[in-house]
Amino acid sequence: MRFNDAVVGTAFLLLAGAMIAMTFTFPAFPGQKYGPSLFPRIIGGGIILCSVLLMLREWRGGGRPLLVLDAWARRPGRLASFALMLAAMVFYILASEPLGFMPTAFLIQLVLFLWFGVRPITALIVASVMTIAVQYFFGSLMRVPLPRGILDSVL
Amino acid sequence: MTAISTAFGLVFDPTVLAVIMGSAMFGMFVGAMPGLTATMATALLVPVTFFMAPVPALGAIVTATAMAIFAGDIPAAMLRMPGTPASAAYADESYEMTKKGQLNLAMGANLVFSVLGGIFGVAILILLAPVLAEVAINFSSFEYFWLACLGLTCAVFIGTGDPLKGLLSLFIGLAIGCIGIDPAAGQPRFTFGNVDLLSGINFIPTLIGMFAVSELLRGAVTMEKGGHVVAQAVGNLMTGIGGVMKRYWFNFLRGSMIGTVIGALPGAGADIASWVSYAISKKTSKEPEKFGKGHVEGIVDATSANNSALGAAWIPALVFGIPGDSITAIVIGVLYMKGMNPGPSVFLQTPELIYAVFIIFILANLLMFPLGWAAIKSAKQILRVPRNILLPIILIFCIVGSYAMTNSLYGVVLMVGMGVFGWLLEEHGVPVAPLILGLVLGEMLEQNFMSSMIKADGSLLGFLSRPIAGVLGVCTMAIWALMIWRALTFGASRAAAGAKA
Repeated sequence: MRFNDAVVGTAFLLLAGAMIAMTFTFPAFPGQKYGPSLFPRIIGGGIILCSVLLMLREWRGGGRPLLVLDAWARRPGRLASFALMLAAMVFYILASEPLGFMPTAFLIQLVLFLWFGVRPITALIVASVMTIAVQYFFGSLMRVPLPRGILDSVL
Repeated sequence: MTAISTAFGLVFDPTVLAVIMGSAMFGMFVGAMPGLTATMATALLVPVTFFMAPVPALGAIVTATAMAIFAGDIPAAMLRMPGTPASAAYADESYEMTKKGQLNLAMGANLVFSVLGGIFGVAILILLAPVLAEVAINFSSFEYFWLACLGLTCAVFIGTGDPLKGLLSLFIGLAIGCIGIDPAAGQPRFTFGNVDLLSGINFIPTLIGMFAVSELLRGAVTMEKGGHVVAQAVGNLMTGIGGVMKRYWFNFLRGSMIGTVIGALPGAGADIASWVSYAISKKTSKEPEKFGKGHVEGIVDATSANNSALGAAWIPALVFGIPGDSITAIVIGVLYMKGMNPGPSVFLQTPELIYAVFIIFILANLLMFPLGWAAIKSAKQILRVPRNILLPIILIFCIVGSYAMTNSLYGVVLMVGMGVFGWLLEEHGVPVAPLILGLVLGEMLEQNFMSSMIKADGSLLGFLSRPIAGVLGVCTMAIWALMIWRALTFGASRAAAGAKA
């Protein structure tokens, strides 16, 4: 999925514009000429300069199509792999607190393994071993408070 | 002398040695797996090192990266797939050697010259860093401001194919660095009233997102279901190495030298060092027609260069706190987390830590020989680990690592957001390395800029009034001028090409 540089330039131009606009809400300190808004404004100006140059370059070069799709984006299987990888992360964010780390991590690995064509037995074994190993290493040895969730009473 | 003996004591501690050994094996594995880079190895290591004392933490990073840069050569020669981008320059060359039946010689040369190149880079680091630190101790905010500018400029100018997009990436990094409490006046900026954002964009989840999650997203769509590799058996690695050494000793020296210089330049690292030295080797060779057809000469240059660049990248990182490449950018982030602000004062206050880093570097390069040997011999087994098992496991490590940095879901959310953002940027040809450097250096740059502005009372001439600051400033601005010129001509030549087509 690739937009042309004029689209990229426009997006960053808008972002930098919003950033500079926000600096006007920062308070000025009496007696200090250079306040917290100076540096972000310079950086914002830099982004705007780059964005405009990108857009100019694209237009002078005759302009490519607005959006080019890679070969993989047209193949449903590959597209689903991409979506699933992302969905796995979002699922962790949503489910790890209520379910707990161990069930969530186990489910994520199992589903991804199976989707990517790992044999079910192998997938089950690796997902269980890795979940327990990570919980032990980070949760017990490194004392990271990984969410316990439904296993609260067991752990 | 006491500092050196303390340093030996710090390094030769059973726990530290165990950490070094473990991270060496980790680095070998990650480096040898195509698609997993040395930077990714570092990004995944950082959450673990977060819980360690400074010496084992730095030891883990030094060792893992040194091994990963070498190990990238293994799949390059066997499968024509570079294990890390630093081996990409000569992957075709080593694969051609393998096809000619010279796999043993290719692997032997890669191993020996990686070790020697690494030691060369470390030697320069040991000789040069303390001397530079003595000069740097007198630096004021003006010098640091220009040094940071110079470093960031180099990152854009040398490190990227399209300087304009590199510059954009750098500014985005600096803008992200503005989020949180501003370093001069203590004013919250761009936090939208969010408590998590008040502490700024946490560096490690960003890093894991940009270097690991974006790689996972790319990996998910290139997964060959049930894919398997065929690696060849390796014989005696040392046959013929003596001859290569005798014939190409100059290439080794030149490659290491180029690698050291490029590594020491802020912003450019092992990847670029190996491309440049390979190109120079081809240009100056007496038999350029053999290049690309399985000739060992260019490999000697490039494999020495990428390992020497690794050590040299620590020179600006330790002395000025300005990273030499994306790996040392991570190191600087780690140093700050440990409360050790990199810079010349570290050499005075805690010289034993600096010596400990030096000792670990030497140790890592010596360890590379036996471990590299073992990795080459067991390459068949390492390369057989299927990517469809590896990627989901790495995903779990990314999530837990990011979570551990903030002890809350904020880290994971940040990692996912930055991962998708980094993936989008790279899809559009915007490199992420300048962004990471901008994020790391942003606060230091702003602090030195603001205090310089106040000292010079807004006069830009004041920024050039001190001799070293003046030289640095003029150099930086000269590079800027060159960059603008190149950007303009680049655009013009593309426009001309477009008109023709």
